[in-house]
Amino acid sequence: MLLKLIVVSSASLTLWLVPLVGLDKKVGWHKGIQGASLCAALACAVSAGNIARQLADESEIQELKTRAIKADVEDEIATEIYVSQAQRQQEAEAILNPVERLERSLALSCEDEDGTPNVQNEIQAEDAEERRAERVLELKAKGWGKAKIILEVWGVSKGGSQKYKDAETLYERLIRGET
Amino acid sequence: MRAMYLANYFVAGCIASSLLGWIASLHPMAFRAIAFLLVALGIVWTAAWLLDYSLSQFLKISIQQLQAVLVSVLAFLIIGLGVFLCS
Repeated sequence: MLLKLIVVSSASLTLWLVPLVGLDKKVGWHKGIQGASLCAALACAVSAGNIARQLADESEIQELKTRAIKADVEDEIATEIYVSQAQRQQEAEAILNPVERLERSLALSCEDEDGTPNVQNEIQAEDAEERRAERVLELKAKGWGKAKIILEVWGVSKGGSQKYKDAETLYERLIRGET
Repeated sequence: MRAMYLANYFVAGCIASSLLGWIASLHPMAFRAIAFLLVALGIVWTAAWLLDYSLSQFLKISIQQLQAVLVSVLAFLIIGLGVFLCS
């Protein structure tokens, strides 16, 4: 295509200039040849222009395609980098924090099927009971009365309610030293 | 490649101008017709220079592009007719 363009462009220039310079305008058949060559030169120049425009459009499209491919490749590389970075981060976290993972797995294994953690609850309940006993004994040593201590520790005021009766039973047990 | 196709169209314009000169040399009436055509073209060309802003908006091209076209038209007319007359 490029060769054709060059040939047609050269032909148009040749057909334009050579007959005008080389032939005599006063001679009839020379003049006829000049006119014919000018028409041919005009046709060659226009077709060369069309070919060149087509080539320019194609090269522009090719350039756009190249840009798109380049952008795709860059995007792919960036995604790969991002993914591998995330993987590396996960691996690093897995290596650096095994204790946390163990704790999590332990916590998960301690939970029942319905999701209630029994061992931890028992431990927490025992701790709360101990703290409560200590507090009761402390207040008793200060000389507080039973009703006041029950109100302070269990948050239940004196009366005939079941809550107060339960709290009173627990208080009695603690005072007797039963746990 | 863009420059090449612009150059080819420019050469086509030059050849067309030479062809006009050749047609004008055939007969006095043809000469008058071509002279009239050139005068009309000159008027249009001047008007295009004066109305470049509106014309560029109408043709949806930039003023620079329009001015480049006008200068090119003048150049290929001068070159084409010059080549024909001087040969």
